Amino acid sequence: MNKNLTRRQLLSMVGAAGGATAVYNTSLALGLMSDAGAPARLDLQHVPKGGARIIVLGAGIAGLTVAYELERVGYDVQIIEASKRVGGRNLTVRHGDVIDEMGHQQVCRFDDHPEMYFNAGPARIPGHHRRVMHYCKSLNVPLQVKANFSRPAYTHDTENFAGKPVRVQQYVADARGFLSELLYKAIDQNRFDEPLSADDRERLMHFASTFGDLQPDGSYKGSLRGGYDEGGFLSPAVQRAPLEFRALLNSSWWERGMLSAENPDWAAPLMEVVGGMDNIVKAFVRELKTRVILNAQVQDIRLKSDGVDVVYNHNGKRRKLSADYCFNSIPSHFMPAIPNNLPPDYQAGLAAMVPGNFFKIGLQMKKRFWEDEGIYGGATSTNQKINTIWYPSHGIHGEKGVLLGAYAFFGQCKFFERMNPAERLQFAADCGDKIHKNYSSYIEAGVSVPWGRMNHMMGCGTTWSEEVRNEYFALLQQPAGGRHYMIGDQISYHSSWQEGAFASAEYALLDFNRRVRADATRQGVR
Amino acid sequence: MPGKLTRLQWMLVLVGVLGTASALAKDPVVPSDELVFCTVCHGVQLMGNPIIRAPRLSGLSSWYVEKQLHAFQDGWRGVHEADLVGMEMQPMAAALTDEQIKLAAQFVAATDSPMPERTLAGDPSAGQALYATCSACHGNQAQGNEALGSPALAGLNDWYLREQLEKFMSGARGSHPADTTGQQMRAAMQVLGDETAIDDVVAYIATLGH
Repeated sequence: MNKNLTRRQLLSMVGAAGGATAVYNTSLALGLMSDAGAPARLDLQHVPKGGARIIVLGAGIAGLTVAYELERVGYDVQIIEASKRVGGRNLTVRHGDVIDEMGHQQVCRFDDHPEMYFNAGPARIPGHHRRVMHYCKSLNVPLQVKANFSRPAYTHDTENFAGKPVRVQQYVADARGFLSELLYKAIDQNRFDEPLSADDRERLMHFASTFGDLQPDGSYKGSLRGGYDEGGFLSPAVQRAPLEFRALLNSSWWERGMLSAENPDWAAPLMEVVGGMDNIVKAFVRELKTRVILNAQVQDIRLKSDGVDVVYNHNGKRRKLSADYCFNSIPSHFMPAIPNNLPPDYQAGLAAMVPGNFFKIGLQMKKRFWEDEGIYGGATSTNQKINTIWYPSHGIHGEKGVLLGAYAFFGQCKFFERMNPAERLQFAADCGDKIHKNYSSYIEAGVSVPWGRMNHMMGCGTTWSEEVRNEYFALLQQPAGGRHYMIGDQISYHSSWQEGAFASAEYALLDFNRRVRADATRQGVR
Repeated sequence: MPGKLTRLQWMLVLVGVLGTASALAKDPVVPSDELVFCTVCHGVQLMGNPIIRAPRLSGLSSWYVEKQLHAFQDGWRGVHEADLVGMEMQPMAAALTDEQIKLAAQFVAATDSPMPERTLAGDPSAGQALYATCSACHGNQAQGNEALGSPALAGLNDWYLREQLEKFMSGARGSHPADTTGQQMRAAMQVLGDETAIDDVVAYIATLGH
């Protein structure tokens, strides 16, 4: 290290040459900082009342954010929403709510009780999603910890371990143990290509032994990390016998989910909104002066040199709104079926984006049976098509609870979409019975939310291929004609996350502000 | 759509969206709230949306639409295991009342939108010869013939026509005993021997009705 620059030395040199921004960018490049720092200070230009007019298309998180920020600095904002509700995919389902699935409208029959709710869209917030946190904090939306990866929960595999659920803690401990034993023996027999010094070897063997909780002879015989079979309080703890190595190797959870919490978006501790994720939406609506026009489907978007005209249907009439700027969060896959005169490459980009998809089931259980098994929140994972059973982190020790009974992604969703709601619930109940005794007998009510079939949605975010992203992402971030911005989680690297929606709104607002300030400067000169 | 302004877009630019003079033969229809959901997939004025595989329906005859909606509802269309897109449509139709089906069919017939763009590379002149047989039922301008139960084909997306012809060929459509005209169509598919013939005839149909 003496001859080479240390990273600190490099950073101070870069800083001297390029200022703080250069240090920041270089730090990003070196992987020292995440770009999810504090949200950018928007510092939007205030305008006099009756100034520029803004149309926002879509009342999801991105649209609400833009409306809220621009209204605060004096703009006249109108939000047009195609569906009958505000919030987009930020959807918390409660007693009496209608789930507007096309062809299969459902009414939620959960108890009318404050803890009986289900977050059918976003449900977890990691701490590094700084923009979500910023708005929750500034809009006084209280948060609580939400368990996600849970050691006492189960992993379940119909083809292995006799089809019986295995505690996550045991699976993880045994997987590490087996791996460590192999490592230990390889070191012991000096099978490394690179010669290790005696000290190195001893240290590495100690590391392997600690990582896997090995016996003094380097063998793995199970670990208390995998949980107690019995005892541990008034009698000695008896550890579980290790799983069979081959069954563990054959099982699929080590590739499906064992490392899921290593993903920063799913890493503990996660947060959730007290009382339901839609309290974020309600907070925005509370702050907004403008009333969202619901049931208003856009029919035409016309870009002009000095603004944007939008035609929409409302209450059986065709109406037109003219604005100086338009912020559009309509799902990209609807845009080719809405007449517009956006630039051809812009339209081509929207048509090239492929919608994503998610599917969730929420079940009201008349008893919180999982708590009797020592499980408080967190998720069980199975190789069945439901993928996940996710126990609520709220309402602990209450009588009842609403859990997530299925969570399917992308191509997996079609399987459920082709069933009717009753068939989906029956399928989820049968899968649950393979994991928890009497699972289905506890189900009192259920809802299924297939985002690929929801009215005015028909998808969930975007799955960008690298090719399409390289060709169109930067283009679609820019305003068409300087007047029409595409926004939403679809225009981000975090599609299907609220942080993606906030980030895209922030990007558009910052760009908008630069243009408005530049115009003001030009006019000042004139 | 990408690449150039569609005809509707040009016209709208010229005359203004809410102008009294309409670029298309018919003024835009504002659907009642209960029929808005047709447009979620099939697009504004049912212009079609290739991304969600929802075909253009603008101006289709009401008798045909009504019949097909009943077909979806009664389970002789959109239930074959190979007809995945049809299965997506089936529950939408199943949720409609008879009265709503009537209204939906009238709505479809009243709409207009630009003719769809060609997306397939068939040979229209080869297709013209093949179409001679088709024209007996579907009409020489592919305008359809209600008396024979033959729908208009002009104005449908080429990709949709190809999908349907493939379904008639495989039996994913036209196999159900209740679907008498579908069975006739399936028999008529002998005229179109292979994929090339399908593409050619579809390319020819795309030239009709303008």
